Amino acid sequence: MTRGGLALEGLCKRFGSVEILRDVQLEVAPGDLIVVVGPSGCGKSTLLRLVAGLETPSAGRIRIGGRDVTAVPPAERGIAMVFQSYALYPHMTVAQNMGFGLKMQGRPKAEIAERVARAAQILQLGEYLDRKPRALSGGQRQRVAIGRAIVRDPEIFLFDEPLSNLDAALRGQMRVEIARLHAQLGATMLYVTHDQVEAMTLASTIVILNAGRVEQVGAPMELYRRPANRFVAGFLGAPRMNFVPAHVVSQSPGALLIGLEGATHGSPLRLVRATEAAQVGMPVTLGMRPEHLRLADAAASLLHGSVTLVERLGSETLVYVKPEGAEQITVKLDGGSAVARGDLVGLQVDAAHCHLFGPDGSAIGAPSDATGQSAAAGANVRVAG
Amino acid sequence: MNVAAATAAMPAETGRGRRALQLLLRYGVLIGVGLLMLYPLLWMVGASFKPNREIFDTIGFWPHSPTLEGYREGWRTGTEHTFGTYLANTFKIIVPKVIVTVISSVLVAYGFARFRIPGRRILFALLIATVLLPKSVLLIPQYLMFRELGWLDTFLPLYVPAAFATEGFFVFMIVQFMRGCPVEMEEAAVIDGCNSLQTLVYVVVPVILPAIISVALFQFMWSMNDFLQPLIYLSSVEKYPVSLALKLAIDVTEATSWNQVLAMSTIAVLPSIVLFYAAQKYFVEGITVGSVKG
Amino acid sequence: MYENRVAGVAYVLPFIFGLAAFTLFPFVASLLLSFSDYQLQDPIDAAAFVGAENYSAMFADGTFRKSLGVTFLYVFVTVPLKLAFALFIAWVLNFRLRGIGFFRTAYYLPSILGGSVAIAVVWRYVFAGDGLVNQAFELFGAEPVNWLGEPGYAMFSIVLLRLWQFGSAMVIFLAGLQAIPEDLYEAARLDGARGPRIFVSITLPLLTPIIFFNFIMQVVQAFQEFNGPYVITGGGPLKATYLLPLMIYEETFKYFNVGYASALSWLLFVIVALFTAIAFWTSRYWVFYAQERDEEKRGEEK
Repeated sequence: MTRGGLALEGLCKRFGSVEILRDVQLEVAPGDLIVVVGPSGCGKSTLLRLVAGLETPSAGRIRIGGRDVTAVPPAERGIAMVFQSYALYPHMTVAQNMGFGLKMQGRPKAEIAERVARAAQILQLGEYLDRKPRALSGGQRQRVAIGRAIVRDPEIFLFDEPLSNLDAALRGQMRVEIARLHAQLGATMLYVTHDQVEAMTLASTIVILNAGRVEQVGAPMELYRRPANRFVAGFLGAPRMNFVPAHVVSQSPGALLIGLEGATHGSPLRLVRATEAAQVGMPVTLGMRPEHLRLADAAASLLHGSVTLVERLGSETLVYVKPEGAEQITVKLDGGSAVARGDLVGLQVDAAHCHLFGPDGSAIGAPSDATGQSAAAGANVRVAG
Repeated sequence: MNVAAATAAMPAETGRGRRALQLLLRYGVLIGVGLLMLYPLLWMVGASFKPNREIFDTIGFWPHSPTLEGYREGWRTGTEHTFGTYLANTFKIIVPKVIVTVISSVLVAYGFARFRIPGRRILFALLIATVLLPKSVLLIPQYLMFRELGWLDTFLPLYVPAAFATEGFFVFMIVQFMRGCPVEMEEAAVIDGCNSLQTLVYVVVPVILPAIISVALFQFMWSMNDFLQPLIYLSSVEKYPVSLALKLAIDVTEATSWNQVLAMSTIAVLPSIVLFYAAQKYFVEGITVGSVKG
Repeated sequence: MYENRVAGVAYVLPFIFGLAAFTLFPFVASLLLSFSDYQLQDPIDAAAFVGAENYSAMFADGTFRKSLGVTFLYVFVTVPLKLAFALFIAWVLNFRLRGIGFFRTAYYLPSILGGSVAIAVVWRYVFAGDGLVNQAFELFGAEPVNWLGEPGYAMFSIVLLRLWQFGSAMVIFLAGLQAIPEDLYEAARLDGARGPRIFVSITLPLLTPIIFFNFIMQVVQAFQEFNGPYVITGGGPLKATYLLPLMIYEETFKYFNVGYASALSWLLFVIVALFTAIAFWTSRYWVFYAQERDEEKRGEEK
């Protein structure tokens, strides 16, 4: 029972007949910065509110630092929360905002002043202490909201999409600041966002939530390289992973041969997988990240089609290819690629980078090369037509 | 509507001419109507400083031979009490009434706006219904009720009901205002250790203060103007509020000393006028929050 | 927000008690009284059930028919006129003129004071035989009018008092007008619409919720007018301004006929309820809400 950890045991939340969270299990080690990410409506905010004590779970337990806090009022849970809208008290000064929680605890004035001053120093808010929130910029308000949390010296910090009200430049800056704060304070943080960039950059552990269920938990790159299912694979990564319907053509020892639906030519892909994971003829989905695809000779390629759009982002180029009878495929190439709209191109992929998903969406094995970046960037590009 | 943009499309010359004409027309209407609107009030104030005969002789509001006679005599009133007694009575009714109205309305509105209450929809519908219900249908049984309680000829029937959020309009107004306020702020207070009542006092009340001021002002005005309730509940002259005293004054001083009655009328509306000018933004906010934003 | 039902009920408890004691109970009691012969001076248990006698007595009562007639006249004249005037002035004010704040205040003030006895007293003097209006008439060489002594003119005087208080409705209209986004006007102008066309096609439809709200409030208030006629005309002459609330008051506190007065008050309630019900019933055909009520949406989030 170390101080500062968080454990959720079979947490459920229903509103009437609507299930928001289903049987969430989660173990957060002390000092972790855990980011809960998922599409809107997935229940991530509810999860945070349950931990904060703003909602009561329909079933399950919440432990903070080993203590069962399921029935403990929010103020006594040892948590502090940073809200999306900052939720500063408009009629109080910055100092009063930060010290309000301690005041409610009946702490002596001197102690409050000292702790507020310390938090203000960490966040460089010293000169704003006597201002009202409306006289502050968005970024400053955000820092006050964080300061209010720091002053409480909680076991766990809760962040509810704290950066989504800031403009892009400020968001990046605050992201760095939160990471710095985490390193400085060494506190456990539970951070909710819909932004996968925040999740990837900030988290020591990511929790992917979808429709009230935990889809996968793990380190950011672990989830990126070995997504447990189609949802996680599609959620992390921009541009999104390409999914192509396929089926198992045959099995050979330690490998599956995969044929794409509707593919008229090209040889089946040979993926290294345990053979018992799939039967011959089983419908599967092949997942390929845009950066793992490369252009190839149309005749010898896995897929071919015409280029519908080319987006040049400078350091990289996004090419959208529409193969006949399949959905549009996104390919990420390096910045200088000489490809144009209307070109007929073939696509090739290294089997070692391919993801395979069964009919229920769960991953069949993992890419054999789940360790490093693809070598595709340097591959020879030939444009047909 | 943007006049400049509306006329920009027209040829410049006719556009400018028409624009000037339109402006003139609008200001003409506004000033004309405004004068008609305010003239009765101006006349009342002016006449209260005139000798009685001058009131009948001139229609101008400015007194030619100003005198305080109306105020001096009017203050004495035709009764054994001065007008001061009636003013004091009015405030003895209004002050407690405004206080209990504000407190009960805020508490009830908070309950409606922030809590899951069984039967909330029905209760809230009933609240709206009480706004629309003609009060005369309640008047007689309420009178009998207070008679049985022995409250006749006391101030109690005039303000005790207000302690139970009987003015649905005020509750509705505050509920609308609270709905426009972010709940996250109150959740932050809960995390900071407030119970729901502390959240209300430390966070919600300061934030919705404009609405609370509106409620207090409206209740003040309405109670100031209230006539029927004191009329049926108060029978001793020494307990009369200003509204009853004025009615009494025109009944006893009929056709003789208008300046006295008008002087007392001026005093009677003075607090309302001063308050109105000092706080008109709250009146406008208060009256529009229930309709436009609702 | 809070799921604690007990605390929630505790907060609305004053309202529940007040609703029961000062609204629902009197409401039902008034219905019961309307079927009784109760007289004000009697002990409360002396009331006896007389069936619908009080209601049938109304039809034979000439005073009642007169009162009902002038009440409808009063409502039907004041409500549309007041709304139209309030809307017109709000519309004039809504142009970006200098001094809009001043005019808004000047127009709003009378409706703040208008219900007071002090203003009723002023009104009585303004329209008295030797009052301000007749003095003005004399100045222009017109015959003085017996404003408060002749039925038609007396009604006119108290109607005018209500119209004088158009300010509150105007302020609400003005807020509604200002809530209409400027883009819509720009778009209409780009589509080639001009002043009156814009008013009919853009302003009026978007204003229907406000018109609806003001209409209901004005109808409900007009049916309850008491101070004006009581102080200015006393209901006369020849009962020409004897509005129903006045009659209910006198039947109760002058003639002590509580049973009959209760029946009258219930009739008044039914009339107001009918008007409100019709307004709500027809509102779906003419009231246009730009946004769907977001009540449900908000409910889902929490």
